[in-house]
Amino acid sequence: MKDETNKITFKGTAEGLVIIIPEQMDTDLVIKQIGNKVKAAEKFFRGAKLKVLYRGKELTEQEEEKLKDVMVKNSGVIIESINYELYEPPIVEEKHTQASGIPFRHIFFKGLDEGPCKFVRGTIRSGTRVLYEGNVVIIGDANPGSEIVASGNVIVMGALRGMVHAGADGNRQAIVVALKLSPTQLRIGDIITRCPDIPEEIQSRPEMATVKDGVIYVEPL
Amino acid sequence: MGEVIVITSGKGGVGKTTTTANLGTGLCLLGKKVALLDTDIGLRNLDVVMGLENRIVYDLVDVVEGVCRIKQALIKDKRYDGLYLLPAAQTRDKNSVTPNQMLKLCDDLREEFDYIIVDCPAGIEQGFKNAIAGADRAIVITTPEVSAVRDADRIIGLLEANEIRKPLLLINRVRPVMVKKGDMMSIEDIIDILAIDLIGVVPDDENIIISTNRGEPAVTEDKSLAGQAYRNVAKRIMGEEVPLIDLSGQDGFLAKVKKLFGFRSA
Repeated sequence: MKDETNKITFKGTAEGLVIIIPEQMDTDLVIKQIGNKVKAAEKFFRGAKLKVLYRGKELTEQEEEKLKDVMVKNSGVIIESINYELYEPPIVEEKHTQASGIPFRHIFFKGLDEGPCKFVRGTIRSGTRVLYEGNVVIIGDANPGSEIVASGNVIVMGALRGMVHAGADGNRQAIVVALKLSPTQLRIGDIITRCPDIPEEIQSRPEMATVKDGVIYVEPL
Repeated sequence: MGEVIVITSGKGGVGKTTTTANLGTGLCLLGKKVALLDTDIGLRNLDVVMGLENRIVYDLVDVVEGVCRIKQALIKDKRYDGLYLLPAAQTRDKNSVTPNQMLKLCDDLREEFDYIIVDCPAGIEQGFKNAIAGADRAIVITTPEVSAVRDADRIIGLLEANEIRKPLLLINRVRPVMVKKGDMMSIEDIIDILAIDLIGVVPDDENIIISTNRGEPAVTEDKSLAGQAYRNVAKRIMGEEVPLIDLSGQDGFLAKVKKLFGFRSA
């Protein structure tokens, strides 16, 4: 961390040179460091005409002059102007990058039709998470409170009552099949759905969940 | 600035989660903005009792690990505005969170909510330490059983050692008929041992089991006696003076008829 707070960064942009000065850094040190930095790249700077912007610590006019001097002296650069730029870090638009253990990717898992597959025998109980880069087959039940997260398809040869996430890398092509499909929550790719709050009549037939037009559909097999 | 109240007991199964759900809902019904915080990582229940299990995407551990923002993890209640739940993680354990992280989380929630009700896990280990880390006040739950009272006593000691002064006592699952017969500890006996202020007495009530299984807190049911008791506790938390419900005479003929009605209409 100490290095970060005492480190000056140079950035070349279309408008000229941008110098990022850590706010709590001592001014003398700033000038000294910039001098050294410029000297190290003397060849690059010599004779070049530059507009300089700096961010972070705000300097007084005298200090700006001093900075200009030191840069010119150390490299022979021609500085056209030197200005402070108020810079606010861009607000990063947040996206759901990950909902359940496998990060969303641009290139999805390719083995939906044919590829790696994990078989799990026995009941998946509450608090257990099955996480796999590929397809998952559960031979048994998945109870409420359990989580099955797979980048591929999920097949449950039993009752699926827990949370399931197929195509967890963002792939909407993945499917979920269970002999009894009544998950607490069903996710395919970036879509999340849940059962209606009013329980429907209990059916015990195998069903398959797929995504069509951005909506998860559940149909009997 | 909101107030953080931890619901704790030491012993398991005395009604911490049920109380958290009911008091939270009760305070919300009184017009407050309430967040329920489940700290029972690995054995979460509050989401089930609130009927919000199928809405969980992010949880408490995701928030403290910075996977998501608090607002993304807070689940809005399906019935009441101003009531939110921050669920615990199920596939992790108590050591996934530190008391310092909990303290920060509570401080962040304080800005948004009037009351933050923390559901504490049973035991006195890491989970308990996490739960009380950010608390201003504590409500200790006990049932009229010697073992529960013993554990409550231990918990009160630990709370005081952690600078949570003046914990309040809530006695749960009281059966007046048994008390009258001398088969159950009376409220006076319990207060005599624990020597802290009483915030409420909740009678044993079948409706609680029904409502818990349905995922709807009993506090919303007018007919439920336990619901009435929880409504009163919520008022007392807000500083209102409400007398204890008179439990004598309950379980008598009239109560049986009432129960029958309550059961039918439920």
